[in-house]
Amino acid sequence: MTEHFKMETPATERRLDDMAQGLVGAPLDRPEGPLKVTGTATYANEWQIEGMAHGVMVRAPGNSGRVILANRDDVAKLPGVLAVIQDDRLLRNPAQGTANEAPVQSPHHAAYLGQLIAVVVAETFEQARHAAQSLQVTLENAQMVQVDPATAAVEPQDGQALDQGDLDAAMRDAPHSVDLVYTTPSHSSAPMEPHASIASWQGGDLTLRGSYQMLKYNRNELADSLGIHPDRVRIISPYVGGGFGSKLGLAPEAVAAAIAAQELGRPVSVALQRPQVFEATMRRSETRQRVRLAADAEGRLTGLGHDARVSNLPGESFAEPVLQASHFLYAGANRRMSLELARLHRMCAGSVRAPGEAVGVTVLENAMDELAHEIGIDPVALRLRNIPEKDPESGKDYSSRRFREALESGAEAFGWADRPGVKERREGEWLIGYGMASAARVNVLMESQARVTLLPDGTARVETDMTDIGTGTYAILGQIAGDMLGLPRDRVEVVLGDTTLPPAAGSGGSWGASSSGTSVYLACEAIRRQLAQRLEVDEHDLTLKDGRATYANQVKSLSDILQGDEIAKLGHVKPGDTSTDVRQATFGAYFAEVAVHAASGETRIRRMHGSFAAGRILNAKTARSQCLGGMTFGIGIALTEELAFDPRDGHVANHNLAEYHIPVNADVPQLTVELLEERDDWANPMQAKGIGELGICGAAAAITNAIHNATGVRVRDYPATLDKVIAGM
Amino acid sequence: MNITFLLNGETVSTQAAPATATLLDWLRESRHLTGTKEGCNEGDCGACTVMVTDDQGTRALNACILLLPQLHGKALRTVEGLAENGVLHPVQKEMVDHHASQCGFCTPGFVIAMVTSHANGSTDHATALAGNLCRCTGYAPILRAAKAAEGQPIPGWLTIDRDYARTNSGATPSATVPEGQRPDASAEAAAALPGSSDALAALLLEQPDTTIIAGATDVGLWVTKKLRDLPRVAFLHRCRDLQQIEVSEESIRIGAAVTMDRVLTLMQKHHPSYASMIRRYGSAQVRAAATIGGNIANGSPIGDNPPALIALGATLHLRSGDVRRGMPIEAFFIDYGKQDRGPSEFVEAVTIPRQPDRLKCYKLSKRFDQDISAVCGCFNLTTKDSKIVEARIAFGGMAGTPKRATTLEQALIGQRWARETAEQAMSALDEDFAPLTDMRASATYRLDAARNMLLRYFLEDEAGLPAISEVRV
Repeated sequence: MTEHFKMETPATERRLDDMAQGLVGAPLDRPEGPLKVTGTATYANEWQIEGMAHGVMVRAPGNSGRVILANRDDVAKLPGVLAVIQDDRLLRNPAQGTANEAPVQSPHHAAYLGQLIAVVVAETFEQARHAAQSLQVTLENAQMVQVDPATAAVEPQDGQALDQGDLDAAMRDAPHSVDLVYTTPSHSSAPMEPHASIASWQGGDLTLRGSYQMLKYNRNELADSLGIHPDRVRIISPYVGGGFGSKLGLAPEAVAAAIAAQELGRPVSVALQRPQVFEATMRRSETRQRVRLAADAEGRLTGLGHDARVSNLPGESFAEPVLQASHFLYAGANRRMSLELARLHRMCAGSVRAPGEAVGVTVLENAMDELAHEIGIDPVALRLRNIPEKDPESGKDYSSRRFREALESGAEAFGWADRPGVKERREGEWLIGYGMASAARVNVLMESQARVTLLPDGTARVETDMTDIGTGTYAILGQIAGDMLGLPRDRVEVVLGDTTLPPAAGSGGSWGASSSGTSVYLACEAIRRQLAQRLEVDEHDLTLKDGRATYANQVKSLSDILQGDEIAKLGHVKPGDTSTDVRQATFGAYFAEVAVHAASGETRIRRMHGSFAAGRILNAKTARSQCLGGMTFGIGIALTEELAFDPRDGHVANHNLAEYHIPVNADVPQLTVELLEERDDWANPMQAKGIGELGICGAAAAITNAIHNATGVRVRDYPATLDKVIAGM
Repeated sequence: MNITFLLNGETVSTQAAPATATLLDWLRESRHLTGTKEGCNEGDCGACTVMVTDDQGTRALNACILLLPQLHGKALRTVEGLAENGVLHPVQKEMVDHHASQCGFCTPGFVIAMVTSHANGSTDHATALAGNLCRCTGYAPILRAAKAAEGQPIPGWLTIDRDYARTNSGATPSATVPEGQRPDASAEAAAALPGSSDALAALLLEQPDTTIIAGATDVGLWVTKKLRDLPRVAFLHRCRDLQQIEVSEESIRIGAAVTMDRVLTLMQKHHPSYASMIRRYGSAQVRAAATIGGNIANGSPIGDNPPALIALGATLHLRSGDVRRGMPIEAFFIDYGKQDRGPSEFVEAVTIPRQPDRLKCYKLSKRFDQDISAVCGCFNLTTKDSKIVEARIAFGGMAGTPKRATTLEQALIGQRWARETAEQAMSALDEDFAPLTDMRASATYRLDAARNMLLRYFLEDEAGLPAISEVRV
C-alpha cells in the first residue's frame, strides 16, 4: 500500500508540532556513531568477499590524442596480473548529479590529463599497482588543446540570462555604484574517503558495493554504462565517507570494477588513490564574475548585474549555476545577468557542495560590502534595506524567509556594533577586522520513497535507498518515524543505502533530509490511519507515545493493537505546485573576526558566527553540524583552497591533501551557530527546508570582508592568501 | 622477515610480509582490520593513525608510512582494540556524544590520536590533532569531545601494552633477525636492523647502496607514492646510540635518530622559538616518527629544520666506517637535491653550541598546520653595547637549498641594532636570494616577506616580546 502525495498546496497543518514523543528537533546522537568510533562501520572498500581480485586504474599522461597501451602484452604477463582492460564502456569522467544515464564513455581518447583510461587487475593490490605503474601509455596524434578559461571559446547559457529594465542607465544615474570583477579558483570536494567500488556478478546480476550519494540515479547510470537493464543492478552503500558532490554521479571506478568482474568471472575491487580522486572525479569550476550594483543615496539598490564565466569539458552540459541566488536575494528594478561556459580540457566540472551559491553568493556579498563602503553605510544596514518584498524578477511571494531576523540576530550575537572602522584596530602586530555576509540557498523538494513497517512487537523499521554521507540521515529518519508512531528512538531501526529498498531522492542539493523525511512521514501517517481504523477512532484523536496509543480515555500498547500483525506502508512524495508558486530558499547571515599580521599578511580567523533559518530543524545536533562544516568549507574558500592547474597542459598540480589545503583544526576557530525557529508550509508537510549547504553559501565573503576591514585590502582573486593580502598593504 | 609485535593485546608475527610493507596495508589486507583507514597514503590526513607503545612511551603514528620492521617488539593498538569488555573507551563515547563523528571516515584516526593523548595525560588537543584532517565537522565538536574525555579512566590494556613494550622493545631481536645481518631470503627487500651505529657503519661499508630508514616519513613515500623498489634497506630504530641527546656546557649534541618530538621538547628549554616552529612542522604523528638526521640528510630545500640549525651555528657529524668528519651544517647542502654525503656515509649527530637564546624562527604558510613553508626565516643576532657583533640568518624556501643570508649578515654586523639599520639592511636580501614563483607564493612575496621578517625580529626584540611569535591569535 502506497501513500502517494504531491506537494500542491501549503501544508498548514503542522502535525509534527503536536506529536507526543518529542523527537523531531531534539539534538539526538546519530545511532551509527558507536560503529564509526570503533571502526566497524563498513565502507565501500572494506567488504571481504571471497575470491576478490584488485584493480588499479591508469591515467592518461596528456590531454588529447588516441590512447595506446604500448606494452600491454608485457604487463599482462607480470606476476599476478589477471587482465589489462581498456573496454569501450569505461567512463571518461563521472556522471553529473541526477544525470540518470551514462556520461561520456571514451577510454581510447584522452580529453584531460589524468583521465582514467584503463584498469589493471591482479590477484593482490600490490601486484595490480605495480602492473599499473609499469603500463606505458602513449598518446597518438596529440595536439595542443585549450586549457585556459580566459581564452577558451565560450557558449552563452541563454537559460540563465536575464535582462530586466535598464541596468546601464541605472549604473549611469546612480549616486553610488560599484562595477567589479572577481575570480574564484576550482575547488575539490576532497571527501576523506577516496572513491571505491567492489563489483560482483551472480549470472547476469551485478552487485556493486560503492560509495555513492544518490543510489536511484547511480543504478541507472551504471546500467546504462554497461548496456544492461537497471533491474539487473544492485548498489549497496550503507556508509559513505563524505561526498560533498563528488559522489553524486557514477564515477569511473564503478564501471571499471563491473567490467573487470564480468570479464574475470570473480569479484573485483577498484579503489581510487588520492591523486586520482583529485584528478578524475569532479571539480567546482573556476569562475570569473563581474558584479554591478547601483544604489540611491540611502543605499536602496536600483540596479544589479551579475555576469559569470565558468568552464567544463566538451560534451558536458553542467555549468556552475553562479547566478542562482543573485536572482532573488536582493531588490533592484534594473537587472542583468548572464552565464557563459568556456570549453576546455581540464578535468570535469560538476557539483561541489552548494554549486552556484558557494561562489556566487560569496562574490555578490563581497560586492555588497564594497558598495556599503562606497556609500558609507553599515553593511548589515545595506542588506536590511534591500530585502525585497516579493521576488524581484518573478513577482512571486517568498515561502518563509527569516532573512531580516538572521541578519539582526546574528549581528547581536556576534557583537557587530563594536565593528571597528577600516584599519582602525590593531593589537601588536595584528590588524583586527570584522566582516559579514548574507547566506542564501535555493530550497528543493524531490521525489522520494520510503517504506515504514510497524512490527508486531511495537518496533518499527524504516527502509529506503537514501544515503547517509555524514549528514545524519540515520538519525533524522528514525526521529520522524519515532515521533509519528510514538516510539522511543531506539525502537526504530533505519536501513539505508541499498537499491533493493524504495528509491529515495538521494543526498545532494540540500534536499535529502526534507524529501526522504517526507516520504517517511507519509508512510507513518498511513500507519497511524490504519491503527486508528483498528481502534475505530479518528486518526487525529490518537496520541502515540512510548509504544502506547491513547484515545478516547483509553490506553493500549501498540503490540496489543497489532495482535501479531505488522503494518507496512510506502510513503511516496513528489514535488508539486508549491515548488513553482512561490520562491523557496533558505537564508542566513555570517559574521567573522579576523586578525591579519601586519608584516606577513597571514590571516587568522578569531571567531565566526552564523545565524540560519531553514524551516523546521529536524535534529538540532546534526543540523548545527551541517552549518559548522559548511562554514569550515567557507574558511577554505576564503583562505586556502585552490586546485592549481598547470597552464601548459591543464593538469592538477596539487593533487594531494598536503597541497590542496582543506582547513586544519588550527585554521578553524570555535564557530557558533544559531538556528532560527521557522516553519515553511510551502516546503513539505514537515515544514523543513534543506540545511546541508546553507553554511557555505557566502561564508567566505564574511572573511574577506573582514580582511578589508582590518587592512583596507580587497582581495578579489580567491583565495586570499598571505601574498595577495600583503601585496595590497 | 620475522617481525613480532603485540596487536591489540595479541602477539602476532608477519613472516610473509616484505620488509617495505606498510603497516596500513598489512592491517587492512592481511588482518582485515579495516577500522584503520586510507585517506591519502602519504601521512597528510591522519585517517590511518595507530597507537604504538615502546619502552620510550606511547605515541600516535601514521600507519600508511610506517613499515612493519619498525614495529618489532612494540605494542600496537588500532581502533578495534580500544573498547574493553564491550565498553567504549571514554574518547569513543565522547566522540559519539559530541557528534564529533559525521561521515566517520576520519574518525578512527582522530579517536586513536585522542586516545594516545588521553593515555599520556596530554590536554593540548589542538596540537595533538593538528595532523588529522576532517571535512565534515569543522573540528570544534572533536576538540570538545577530547576535552570532555580528559581525566576519565584509562583502560587496563594500556598496562598490558606498556609491560609488553618494556620487556620486548629493548630486547635482542628475534633469532631470525640476527643483529646487523640481512635476514632470510624470503623477504623481497634485504632488510637489516642494526643494533648500534657501529653495526650500521660496518653494514654501509659492505653495502653502500643500502637505503637508511629512520622514521620512514620520507622513505615511506618512496614506497607508497613513487613505488620505488628498495633492494636493500637498514632500519635505524634499534641503534640506541643514535638516539641520545647530550647537553654539556659547550654544546647540545643530538643523535641523528632522535625524533622531532624529542627535539621539540629539548628546544622548549633552550630555544623556544625553534620549538614553536617545530610545533607546526609535520604533525604529532610525523614528529613522533621523523628524525632530525633524516630531515637533514634528505636535503629538502623547504625543510624548516635546517635554517634554524644554520642560524644556531650547528655542526653536522658524518661517519663512514670509523672515519668521522664534521662540517658547518650549511656546507652540507651543496645544491638542489645534492648533499655532501659520500657512499657508505651517514649522519651521526648534530651539535648546537650553547649560547644565550637570541633565535627567532618565522614560518610562513597558507595553512597554520601541516603546510610546507612559503618562506621560513631564522634569525640569530648577537649585540654588544647596542651594536651587532655577530649575525647568523638563514632561510628555507628561498633557494634550492636551505641557505644562509651572508650579504644581509655582513650588512648588519658592526651596525647599531636599530630600526633604521634593519630597514636599510633589508635590501641586501636581494643579493642573497632569487627565489622562485610557485604554488605556495610568488618570488616577490618571498622576498618581501623575508625582508619583513627582519623588521619583525627587530620589533619583537625591541619590545622584549617572548620568542614564541607564531602562536595563534
